[in-house]
Amino acid sequence: MIEKAHRAMIWNYPRDASEQEWEVFIREGRDEPLRHVGSITAPDNEMAHEQASRLFARYATDVWVCPVDAIARYSTHDLDRNAKPVNSDADESRTHEDLSDI
Amino acid sequence: MISISKLLCDVDAEGDGLRYDAAEESSKLQIRDTKQQRPVVVWNVTKQCNLYCDHCYAAADTETASGELSTAEGKRLLDELADCGVPVILFSGGEPLVRNDLVELIDYAADVGLRPILSTNGTLLTNERVQELKDAGVAYAGISVDDLPEHHDAFRGQDGAFEAAVNGIRTCLDAGLKTGLRYTTTRRNADDLEAIVDLLHDVGVDRFCFYHLEYGGRGSDIVDIDLTPEERREAVRQLFDLTLQYHDRGEDIETLLVGNYADATYIIEYANEKFGTDHAREIYEYVRQNGGTPAGERIADIDYQGNIHPTQFWQGYSLGNVRDRSFPDIWEDESNPLLSALRNREKHLKGKCADCAYRDVCRGSSRLRVLTVHDDLFAPDPQCYLTASERSDPTPVESGRRRIDTE
Repeated sequence: MIEKAHRAMIWNYPRDASEQEWEVFIREGRDEPLRHVGSITAPDNEMAHEQASRLFARYATDVWVCPVDAIARYSTHDLDRNAKPVNSDADESRTHEDLSDI
Repeated sequence: MISISKLLCDVDAEGDGLRYDAAEESSKLQIRDTKQQRPVVVWNVTKQCNLYCDHCYAAADTETASGELSTAEGKRLLDELADCGVPVILFSGGEPLVRNDLVELIDYAADVGLRPILSTNGTLLTNERVQELKDAGVAYAGISVDDLPEHHDAFRGQDGAFEAAVNGIRTCLDAGLKTGLRYTTTRRNADDLEAIVDLLHDVGVDRFCFYHLEYGGRGSDIVDIDLTPEERREAVRQLFDLTLQYHDRGEDIETLLVGNYADATYIIEYANEKFGTDHAREIYEYVRQNGGTPAGERIADIDYQGNIHPTQFWQGYSLGNVRDRSFPDIWEDESNPLLSALRNREKHLKGKCADCAYRDVCRGSSRLRVLTVHDDLFAPDPQCYLTASERSDPTPVESGRRRIDTE
């Protein structure tokens, strides 16, 4: 029996200390997954892309930048006391039928 | 940090265990011990400050900023840091003393086994506040004074800031709290280095930390007042000389340089010139073991909103946020391309750094300064002041290398 993850939605606190903050996702090669690599402070998406390129994505196939406040984050991590628990009684859509005896 | 007094005068201080090997017979942890390899964490508990300084890396403001980690979140964060073996937590800001729960957080940090230290502008340190901080477990307070009174007040944006900071230093010393100077060196104040050391030594200060200007926050707006390489070399040499003069008089002051690992190589050259090859070789062993610039390795920064940065000066990039993921999970995730590159930077260094005979000592120094000045993360640090012959023909280092190779 595998216990399901008990995630909560992290409160959407401001994360833009001086100007807009951008979450950065990169795909380093065409057959690699897109992954989160941190966030960058920049006035707009063009500058965020430019700074990401200078830091670590000069050769990446894809770079996505997204305003930090446009993301809803659900996590099992429990630092945030205001995080809203997600209904863990929801039906699990993934089912498994053992066919080995048939 | 590079301890001039340790390397030139062999004066041991509390923090040296985090930088250099302790003596073999010492009961202190060696730098090779796991705990000593964990990062010192700077926590900017607030962005708010009662001053508005020209060089503030955190771009602090006089107004409260939203999104600060709460007291409860702060305590859970401190638990995480203690659990993963962080040795020291530096409470910084903004001005940390504007946070009403600062004493409670420091008390908690000490309770969970962290060594709490404080970085402050000193102007809010009353007798009562200092006693509370000391009782809570603050082990050290670093107070910023950036020049003699007139220039300091202008730099800090407030008349009377110098007097208030020196009063803060006196209050700490009177309460028996170990207290030191933090001084960011620029063209505006380089000529006053000796005068400020003398003045504060008379007040009772015996620890002096000299910071090179980092190009982060408002520091990136004043690059034009940064020292030239020649001026920097002269200022650093002056500090070496000054430290020796004090020690020759029997006054064991502790002097440190922060933020430019060219200093770690220049002190080898200086020792070779003053004391000979054996002493220079000893220093080489210490600073090589120290590992050069600590960004992304032996220092981490968490800002008031929970974003983790490779150093406190590098606020424009975050590896992740402690509200989303635990500190150790983020810090140990070397799938992050910047973290991985910083931890393997020798392989990426370019230009004069790539062939420098001291690259395993300095490891390229500040990548943040490079990023501000050049369009290439692994270009040479603009603050490097070593001569071409020092970079290519370092006699004490070669001797050291030969010794290591034969062991």
